Order: sequence, then structure tokens, then C-alpha cells
Amino acid sequence: MKKVGKFALKALGGAAAAYAGLFAVFYFDLDGKLLFYVVEPFLDKHYSKMERRDPMSVPYMMVKEGEEYVK
Amino acid sequence: MKKPDLSKLKKIPYKRLAKDFIYGKPVERRRLGDLYQDKTGLYKHREWRGIKDTMYYFNNIWLYNYGMMVYDIMRYGGPIIFAKGVWRYRWVGQSYLPVMHWFDRGLEGTRGETMKASAWHYRAMVSSTIEQFMGMFKADLNTGGDKALHDRTVGHDETLWGGVYYPYDGQLKNIPLQMVPYFVTVHCNSHTVLNYIDAVQAIGLPGDPCPMCQAEAGLFVADDMPDYYKTIMTTNEACDGSVASSIIQDWMINKPLFAMPQPMLFDDDLVQKHCAEEIKGAWKFVEEYYGVKFDMEALKRNLREQNELQEFEWEKWDVAANTPYYPINGVAQALYRIYQSQYGNKPIWHEIDGKVKKILEKCVEQRIETMPLTRHRVIAWSCAPLYYSHWCTWAYNCWGLNTIINMDSLMFDMTISTDDDEQMLLDMARYHEWAPMRRNAVGGMHHIFELWDNMERFNCDMVVMYDQLACKGMQGVHGLFEDEFRARNIHAIWVPHALPDKRVISRSEIRQIINDYMTTVMQEEPIDPSLLEFDDSQSW
Repeated sequence: MKKVGKFALKALGGAAAAYAGLFAVFYFDLDGKLLFYVVEPFLDKHYSKMERRDPMSVPYMMVKEGEEYVK
Repeated sequence: MKKPDLSKLKKIPYKRLAKDFIYGKPVERRRLGDLYQDKTGLYKHREWRGIKDTMYYFNNIWLYNYGMMVYDIMRYGGPIIFAKGVWRYRWVGQSYLPVMHWFDRGLEGTRGETMKASAWHYRAMVSSTIEQFMGMFKADLNTGGDKALHDRTVGHDETLWGGVYYPYDGQLKNIPLQMVPYFVTVHCNSHTVLNYIDAVQAIGLPGDPCPMCQAEAGLFVADDMPDYYKTIMTTNEACDGSVASSIIQDWMINKPLFAMPQPMLFDDDLVQKHCAEEIKGAWKFVEEYYGVKFDMEALKRNLREQNELQEFEWEKWDVAANTPYYPINGVAQALYRIYQSQYGNKPIWHEIDGKVKKILEKCVEQRIETMPLTRHRVIAWSCAPLYYSHWCTWAYNCWGLNTIINMDSLMFDMTISTDDDEQMLLDMARYHEWAPMRRNAVGGMHHIFELWDNMERFNCDMVVMYDQLACKGMQGVHGLFEDEFRARNIHAIWVPHALPDKRVISRSEIRQIINDYMTTVMQEEPIDPSLLEFDDSQSW
């Protein structure tokens, strides 16, 4: 019974600490700062160096082969 | 050892500090501008709104929405599909991760019921956005998506009303091409879209057509669109710039296309009949390419549900127009309404309207003055700057300019008949014709000048006139508006902008124009002087 009580207390303490930690993240805008200074620059670099198809290599055709416009 | 100087401690106003802690600072000492970090617009710390409202914001807005975003991602496809999309597409990774800052900017300074009701509008938009991009990623052939889903999905221009697809509800999925990769991104993170504008100009499109159309075409030029659809259906986006961008899109999408442009002058009965025929043509196109069957019951059910959304919108407008108890701020009203009315009937809108209705009724019953800083009731006309749609939150906090309603909220001011099939089709045609920008901005003189009726209808004493510098249609009537404002003795502030492109007119320049008008013409003092000038040039 004592063990259960201790575990419950620890779990409650852990939850309270996590809640307080989350409040600190919220209040000091740490989520915004992480995203602005770390995540966005990292992703921006990733997207900028990504290999992409050249869409201009697709020939422009008014009516595609084997298809008809319904209209 | 030196004795501590206790006299300083005695001078601290403990009572005032305790009161500020419990209830939040009163307006005259709030100084919201002091919360910003220079340039980035990040907060040194988020606003303390008093215990009750801060804890509501933390638990029911910040934590709740982060949690619900995870929930939405799980229910619409799961984390692997989401991660693939984030890794592949700039517009989702760069734009949507800082979504809670979008909430913060729009809800700054709000308290109580206004904070709650406005935040629910944001929640609806976020949920619908996640549903859309997860729908794209699940069917995306670029990232190994499901081909069967791909072949059951139709892509369409964002200004093509989602209601066109109501008869195929459950058989077919329709996801707008640009609403999520372009339109909503600019509100969340104004950096992303610049890549697409630059991409399309790099292949030769001149810089002066509408930057919305440029950015939409730029998504394809930058190869940043998921391949989630078998066919596309387009409009003319009601705009001059779309001529070039439609061709570029058609070229680069290279799939069967059905075009149903909105007519310029839509009052003619013959034009309405023509549009009704176009809707029938769209149905024929869909049925031939997807093998789906027309379901009249699904069409009518969705239209009836959409009418319910419209009826609640009218209830909201009635409270906004005639009382000081309207609990939705200008930016939440504008964005939710344009999103919901354009995309069409979805369960999330009904869920959120139910929550907002309770708050609205409470405010009216208990006569809660929701926007107590109001000095002027503003109507905003023409197309808004997407990168600064929250200017009205700033203008309210700084000057007491309360944006009651805006042009884009009013465009679909109608319900659709479900009793008579012929009338239903004509009503659908009318709804389709009343597209964003076409309805009041470039839909002819009579409709542009509906501003005067709506000023009266919503009891507004001031106009904020958006001046989209690349909109040739609205630029053409600038002088006519000037004359009318003068003749009618109306206070109007022209707000120049370039829709998604903050490089042309910055947020700071927009604020300066409003500051100048309020000090020189209106000769008023700011409510919060800390908001007059600040540098948020790098802000999302």
C-alpha cells in the first residue's frame, strides 16, 4: 500500500513538474524561440539544397495525347 | 556589514502588483509593445493577462491546440505521412510549425470571452488545414502516397467553391490547390511565400501582376506541389494576374483540366444561366474522369448544412452590427469566414460554431462589453494584406480601432434553395460567381460601392481601405473612392500593401500610415504608446 502511495506521489510530482516546465516554455515563448532560431533555419537550408525537377522541361500541350477535353 | 536599504522595499507598490498579477495590468499600463524582442517579433515573455485569462490561454489555447494538432495529424494519416510531407515541402515545414505564434499575434491583448471565441475560430482553421495537407500527402505520388486515393481526388483552384463537389460526398475528395500551400501559409509565416514569388519571376513573369497569382504559379515552378490529384478544375481567380499563372499551372500540372472562370459582370440573368451550365459541365467532367455517380440527396444535405452555417453567420453579424457584445475580433472574424465559406460545408465548422454560439449568447444575455477599448467602429474594404491580417488586433490595442466587419466576410451573403432544383442550380451559380475579389472588389461599380450600405448596416464610422498595389482592377477605382469619401465626409485610411509580399510595403509602414492619420487628422492620443513604433521586420 505504501509503495502505491509513494508511486502516486512521485507520479503527481512528475506531472506537476512537467506542467510547470510547459508553463515556462509557454510564458517565455521558448517554443517560438526554438522554432525561429533553430528549426526554421535548419529546414530552410534543407529545402534550399533539395534537388528538384525542372518543371520547364515538360512540353506545353493544349490537348494531351490520348485525351480530349470534355468541355 | 552594510545594512540593507529597506526603504526601497517599502516603496514597491505591493497592492498594485498583486492586483496586476490577479487581474492583469489595466490598459493604461499594459505596454504590449514592450513584450517584443527587436526585429523578430518573438516575445520576451508572453502576455500576462491575469491569473484566470493567462491560465485559460495556457491550458485551453496553447496546450489544447498543440495537443489537438497532434490528434488531427494522427487521425488524418499519422506521423509518418506528416513527416514525409514536412521533409519534402517547404510550405508545410517552414510555415505551419510556428502556428501558435499565429494565434498569439491575432489574439494579442484580448481578454475573457473575446479571447475564447476568437481562439475557437483559429482552432477550426488549423484543423481544416491539417485535414487538407494530410489529404494531399496521403495521396501524393511524389512521396509514395496511395495511388487509389490519388485517383479519387480532384485538385481545384482555391477560389472555386468546394460546394461544386457536394453531389459526390463520400465518393470523391476535393482539395484546393492553393488554400493551404499558399493562402494560409502567409498568415502563419510570411517568409515562405517569398520563395515562390521569386521562383516565378525567375522564369520571366513580370513583377507587377497580382503577387497571389505569382505565388500560386511559383509553387509549381519551384516543384513544391504534391501530386495528389488526377484532374484539376480552375477558375480565373477573379483577377488579371491569373491569366499568366493559369497557363503556367496548366503547363506544369499537365493533367486533364476543366476551367470555370467567374464572370466579370455577374448581374445579367444570361450570365447566371451560363454559369449554371458550367457547373453542370463540371459535374460531367468529374463523372467521366472518376466514374462517380451524381447523388442529389448528398448535394441537398450539404447545401442545407451550409445554409445553417450562413444563418449563424447572420446571427453573428446582427450582434456585431447592433450591440457592443460581439466576442470575435476582426482578424478571427475575417479569416474564419473566408476560409469556411470558400471551402464549403465541413463538420469542423458546425462543431466550432456550436461553441462560439454559446459564448455569443452568454455575451448578449449578460451584456458583456467585449471590446471595451473601442473608439471607432471600422469596416475594412477591398483585399487585405495576408502578411498583416492581424493589423486590426494591433490597431485596436494601439488606437481603439475596432474592425467590426470586412469585405471578404460579406461576399457569400446568401443561402441556397434546396426546395426547387432549378432555383438551386441558379443559386449555386450565383454563389460560384460571388467569388473572393470578384464579389465586391472587381465585380463592377455597383458592387464595389456596396461599402456605403454596409457601413450603415454595421454602424461603422470609419473605413480602412486596403490598397493592393498590384491589383489593377482596384487601382483603377482609387480616385472614385477618394471622391466619394470626400463627398460623404467619411474618415478613411488607405492601407497600401502587396497581398502576400511584405517586401513591398512592410508592416511597420502600414502602422505608420495609421499612426499618421490618427494623430494628424483625428488628433487622437494612442491608447498604448508602446505599440506606435517597433521593428518586426524579421517576424513571421
